[in-house]
Amino acid sequence: MTAGSELRSTNIIVTALGGEGGGVLANWLIEVANANDWTVQSTSLAGVAQRTGATIYYLEIFPRADIKDSPPIMSLSPTQGDIDIAISSEIAEAGRMLQRGFVTPDRTTVISSSHRVYAIDEKTEIADGTMQAETILDIANRYSKHFVHYDMQDIAQRNNSVISSVLFGALAGSGALPFGRESYEEVIRQTGKAVATNLAAFDDSYEIAQNTTNPVAHYQPVTGDAESQTRGFSLPEATTIQGQKLLARLAADFPSATHEIVYEGVRKALEYQDFDYAAYYLDQVASIVAVDTVDEKFELSNTTARYLALWMCFEDIPRVAQLKIRHQRMQEIRQEVKAQDQQIIYVTEYFRPRPEEICAILPAPLGRAIIGSSLGRRALGLVSGAKKLKTNTLAIYFALRFLAMLRRFRRSSLGYQHEHSMINNWLAAIRLSASSDRTLAVEIAECGRIVKGYGSTRERTSEQNIAIVSAYNDHPQLLAEDIKTLRNAALADDSNTAFNQKISALTTA
Amino acid sequence: MAERSFKKEVLKLRAGEGDLFQGEGILAITKALLQSGVSYVGGYQGSPISHLMDVLNDAQDVLGELGVHFEASGSEATAAAMLSASINYPLRGAVTWKSTVGTNVASDALSNLASSGVVGGAMVIVGEDYGEGSSIMQERTYAFAMKAQMWLMDPRPNLPSIVDMIEKGFQLSEASNTPIFYMMRIRGCHVTGEFVAKDNLAPQFSNLNPVTPNREAEKIILPPHVYQQERDKISQRWPAAIDFIQQHKLNEFFPGKQEELGIITCGGTYNTIIRALERQGLADCFGNSDIPLYVMNVAYPIVPDEVAEFCLGKKHILLIEEGQPAYIEPAIQSLLRKKDIQTQVYGKDILPQTGDVTGQVLLTGLTRFMEIAGRSSTTKISSLEVDQLQSPLQEDDRESLLQNVPPRPSGLCTGCPERPLFSAIKQVQAEIGPFHISSDIGCHSFATLAPFNLGNTIMGYGLSLASSSSIRHVLPHKSISIMGDGGFWHNGLSSGVASAVFNNHDGLLIIINNGYSAATGGQDIPSMVEPNNLIATTMDAERLERDQSQSIERACRGAGVEWLRTISTYSISEMKETLTEALTTKQGGLKVIIAEGECMLNRQRRIKPLMKKSIEDGKRTLRARFYIDSKTCTGDHACIRISGCPSLTIKDNPDPLRTDPVSYVDNSCVGCGVCGDNVHSAVLCPSFSKIDLLSNPNAIDSTMSRIRRAVIGWFERRDQRREIRQAL
Repeated sequence: MTAGSELRSTNIIVTALGGEGGGVLANWLIEVANANDWTVQSTSLAGVAQRTGATIYYLEIFPRADIKDSPPIMSLSPTQGDIDIAISSEIAEAGRMLQRGFVTPDRTTVISSSHRVYAIDEKTEIADGTMQAETILDIANRYSKHFVHYDMQDIAQRNNSVISSVLFGALAGSGALPFGRESYEEVIRQTGKAVATNLAAFDDSYEIAQNTTNPVAHYQPVTGDAESQTRGFSLPEATTIQGQKLLARLAADFPSATHEIVYEGVRKALEYQDFDYAAYYLDQVASIVAVDTVDEKFELSNTTARYLALWMCFEDIPRVAQLKIRHQRMQEIRQEVKAQDQQIIYVTEYFRPRPEEICAILPAPLGRAIIGSSLGRRALGLVSGAKKLKTNTLAIYFALRFLAMLRRFRRSSLGYQHEHSMINNWLAAIRLSASSDRTLAVEIAECGRIVKGYGSTRERTSEQNIAIVSAYNDHPQLLAEDIKTLRNAALADDSNTAFNQKISALTTA
Repeated sequence: MAERSFKKEVLKLRAGEGDLFQGEGILAITKALLQSGVSYVGGYQGSPISHLMDVLNDAQDVLGELGVHFEASGSEATAAAMLSASINYPLRGAVTWKSTVGTNVASDALSNLASSGVVGGAMVIVGEDYGEGSSIMQERTYAFAMKAQMWLMDPRPNLPSIVDMIEKGFQLSEASNTPIFYMMRIRGCHVTGEFVAKDNLAPQFSNLNPVTPNREAEKIILPPHVYQQERDKISQRWPAAIDFIQQHKLNEFFPGKQEELGIITCGGTYNTIIRALERQGLADCFGNSDIPLYVMNVAYPIVPDEVAEFCLGKKHILLIEEGQPAYIEPAIQSLLRKKDIQTQVYGKDILPQTGDVTGQVLLTGLTRFMEIAGRSSTTKISSLEVDQLQSPLQEDDRESLLQNVPPRPSGLCTGCPERPLFSAIKQVQAEIGPFHISSDIGCHSFATLAPFNLGNTIMGYGLSLASSSSIRHVLPHKSISIMGDGGFWHNGLSSGVASAVFNNHDGLLIIINNGYSAATGGQDIPSMVEPNNLIATTMDAERLERDQSQSIERACRGAGVEWLRTISTYSISEMKETLTEALTTKQGGLKVIIAEGECMLNRQRRIKPLMKKSIEDGKRTLRARFYIDSKTCTGDHACIRISGCPSLTIKDNPDPLRTDPVSYVDNSCVGCGVCGDNVHSAVLCPSFSKIDLLSNPNAIDSTMSRIRRAVIGWFERRDQRREIRQAL
């Protein structure tokens, strides 16, 4: 072939999420290449103005020293198997580059932050729709020539900088380009904007990236599972006399495989109500442990204990009020919103209780009477409805304290009776099924997961649970698989569409 | 105030003879226009040439110095009609838009222009939005060039070629009395590079030197002149163009040692085929190729003699043509047949029929071509290896990635004023739906995606109301059309509102007025929304309005609309009530809701510096953002399903017993208040709080805060002690 056939451009692809500064990074790359006397061609698919979706920048660089007469012909689009450096600001986007064939083991250095920015489909799931970064990390590690990855978002935040600086530092530190550290730093200095913080983030990232050239630091998938972690759990020492009693009972009467979850459950019930309530929780769990005999992992007991604790601590008005006046809360908020020391903040809560929620905290007969009468409902309409309340004003704070205090009378409330009757039905179905088909029992226990939310959501999800339990009671031919189908249908949409379809299909068959 | 400012870059446009000009493709085009002595420029924004409009807008000083007239046209049709200045006078002019959508709109004017013919060079710079990253249906501008007889230039995508071909394009236009399409692909628009500049040329005629009005009856498109114009196209203009292209070597021949083979490509795909040749060891990185190439920088018309000359003596030709249907390939096949040249031409039989010509496509195609030609011994990578490159992943890894890489579609930005509107529509739909909605072009078209899933058809810019007119009689509800302010001014007022009123259309039109042409990068439009006093900040910046703002409301009233409401999009409850009223009222005729809320990107650009200054000046300033209490959040994510705000996301549940992630507001929240309003209007949960961060508190703030902290602090310490007593 002709002269110069050994020469080729170095090709860099950058993917980022809209508005994340992919363009800034691309410009810095251009600057650093120019500063080192390399010629650059860059293109982008900036698309529309919206700050969402993935954006791609593509750069080809070439040393000017190697140019004889005319400049090199550079490609405008990235091509499979032709990428030297792939930079991604988020790990799922690195996964997308892998999918598209932009990462090849013989040539591609992958630089990616390991954090996740969830996509809309992951966020809108009723349960957990998140995808796992670990899988992508593992695959990226195997298919790249060199893989530099860590939580770059975290480094950016700690330095009060942006992820572009961290990625730039990672690239410099990776040594993938023959440019000196100083020339990268100079690019940041030249911008004249946020130089100190950007340089700090760059430096942190540079050091880490340099160290990852050591193969030991490469990503190692976590082996082992939840079970081994459970085995590592040992019950903490009690700090109160009554606590001592509960923990002693937990240690003596419950298998150790259930300790971690039941301990959390007891703690929650105690914080929610009182020692008696915590003891009652233990009673309920014990009734399941008693029928959970053949399984050394005690899956049935654990699953039931988990969702029972959450259900028993249902979020009625006193509970919400109790959580809103937690003494740690203001500090947590200040941290989250990055308030400066001594900076005054105002916290405005958005509440909208319905008459139903207000009746739920009344003594059961009264609550039932009011909710049943149109006049009563209308009267309640005056106090229910949209509210914006400033928690850190005294009047609202004391009002919330009062509401939280009402939990002392909770056991006689309409809401309490309603929830506990549903809980008891559910537990009865679990116990009954455990005797014949333990897998089925676990599936019914798992149905505790669907009960959540407030207001009409809570109504819908509770009713779904009831419907599943009665489907089991009325149709003994239902299998574990059927219950699972129903549960998944309940989590498929929030309009009952899938659920109604499945349940009528299964119960009329 | 566009998203991106080119104020600094446009200074480069003053570069003179011999200066090295470095920058983006669009900037290079602007410089080339000035070097060509244009008298007027105009256009309509849209990716990928939005930035060209921004550059021209920001370059008005430079343009003014030269006497170049600039217009931000009302639509592509407006821009195309500008080119009429070149019919009677030797004025060079250029307009720009997104193609093919903009070319569709402009076609009426273009047909008339092309029939009349031009004496001054007339050029349409089309941003060909085709292939990856495109936001429109996939079509080619080529068909328009053929039907109206305009020449189509498709230059090699490097800055010197781009600049050179603009100048040559004007000359070609004048030599053949024919307007020109100058095609820029998405990536070409954004390509960076350098070229050696020339001096700018002031146009011969301008406001400084007016023309003498000149009437040439034969240039008007009425019979009998139209027949003569058609004859001229074939007998005069076409041959003149062919001559010019050949004489001035607009197309390029590159020799190669494998002389029995050849590649024919348009300029736009030249770089990609060179890379494929390079990877196959058939070229070096400087473009020296073993296979001869014929590069058509003018894609239309085809120059028969050049094609024949190139093909003569060659056994096999690879023809690269992007998009479908193929126009060049059948033309060349027929040309060779007529000239009885027996060269075998491969095109869309070995390359894909559809989609953009990417590196992988050409590497695959070239490899196949070399195999067919029996020359695979000269290539570096076998076709099997090329196929493997497409995805180096093993089956199970590919499967894992499919499971773990979520799609990431476009959506509305954080704090977008359109989000609360669609939250409201979704809530009203739950009550009286389901709805059939005619959607339109603009940011709001993303409401057709998750999580809103609202909208059934998109018929074109400003055409939503028009497209409702045929379905309204079969819908169980009054027709619903959604249109942006951009679409309204572009087309919607006449095609939609005026026509609907005329036909007594009993339906609802929602016009989203965010103050800008937001989706294309925040360009100004005739109307300018009055900024609401948003929850985000106590800053209420001055009313931003053009000197002679054109009101959407008055335009609608003028067109005969009687039922009209203007509602802030951020008032979700009010919006829900108004929507319900509009859809249930007995009153006939068109109902218009102007849903008003300033584009948040633009607003943030405007407010941020003001806010910073206010704090620096020691003024009491509040900044709001939202917060979700992860203790009360049960992880149902209903809030996300009616919002989809990027800042409203999820995180691991801090409660060890809960398995589902909790909702979470990240630090990019701008405090627009939509999630709080949704809590109220959709009756969600008690987890949302608005946090106001106060800077520069006054005496009352400080005193009250001290008292509150003291009292609440006392109780909190008591709670803490109780917590210790009531622990395990």
